[in-house]
Amino acid sequence: MKAREAIDVLARNRGGAVAVCALGMAANEWWAATKSEDSFYMHGAMGFAASFALGLALSLPHAPVWLINADGSLCMNLGCLLTEASQAARNLKHFVVDNGVYQTVGALPMVNGGRTDYAAIARAAGFTRARTIEALDELERQIPAIVAEDGPALTVLRVEPEKGFLRTPPMTYEGPEMKYRFGRALERRFGIEVFGPQGY
Amino acid sequence: MAMDVAERIHEQLTKCGITLAASLPDDWVAPLIERLAADNHIRHVRVAREAEAVAICSGAFFGGVRSVALMGATGLLTCTGELATLNLRHQIPVFLIVSQRGSIDDHRIYQEVQGRRTIPLLQAYDFPYHILDRPDDVSSIPDVFETCRMQKRPFVLFLTRRLVKGEGAS
Repeated sequence: MKAREAIDVLARNRGGAVAVCALGMAANEWWAATKSEDSFYMHGAMGFAASFALGLALSLPHAPVWLINADGSLCMNLGCLLTEASQAARNLKHFVVDNGVYQTVGALPMVNGGRTDYAAIARAAGFTRARTIEALDELERQIPAIVAEDGPALTVLRVEPEKGFLRTPPMTYEGPEMKYRFGRALERRFGIEVFGPQGY
Repeated sequence: MAMDVAERIHEQLTKCGITLAASLPDDWVAPLIERLAADNHIRHVRVAREAEAVAICSGAFFGGVRSVALMGATGLLTCTGELATLNLRHQIPVFLIVSQRGSIDDHRIYQEVQGRRTIPLLQAYDFPYHILDRPDDVSSIPDVFETCRMQKRPFVLFLTRRLVKGEGAS
């Protein structure tokens, strides 16, 4: 299965989930599939979309939060799995697009050459729900149950590495604008106050 | 940390409306962390690396939750990249309470570089900071927290050895 096909399945089944995307391929593909402003697209802090998503999920316990992570990012912060398991946020789902390469910089191989079993690592960290899906029809078959289950849950989407750079364009806004679009979208949806009366 | 100081800081954090704390302990901030962990009104998240605390607090900001990240000076050095590329880039405020290790009264050789280079590093990034040195300074925390929100960037509140260990502690 290709990364874009897997992301498309997630996007179609997203429902009302708020998404946090790891930088690079995950963010760009999620933007291409959803064009959504109630998603946060990391531009830096590689590895820490996971922690950002956990903070968001703990703060909005009644909102489904989906983390669209990638294997390169997960490896930058494997400790996030311990923190995620310990906090046991029922509203947080963790997806890992695993292509075994650093796609955004030209598909250079990742450490350990695609042998790492991230679902097994998550189980060892305390996740009771963790699995790897390698085929598109299998993802289509399992996605309703994945959407319905409680977090913390980790789903590794094993996708084919693609040749060279993945040239899906990034979202059309960035920096402070992303902060305000995302924050305002959450204020509208959940009736919360992200920014104070003077706008900061 | 003198118990009354931890209690006073805790009280001021409550006054700020803080309901989430993410921490990785340094022995100077450990008593404060354990006080916050015991508070049922605060969600406490123990992390494996300090940058996790930074990103957790950043995510919490978008959930409308006020938060604090607690760590030692060495931990602050480990997460300057994340503070720059997440918080500086998107102008996301994050309030950090950090032990000011490596000060002239901190005779630990492994803290020496932190003492010399942490503040110049913050200045290079243009991250503001404030130093709490005396128990009477603790009441400034709500002003520091509001300034952090207004300045929309990482803001470090340092706790000195004198504050956490008490005057004349060995």
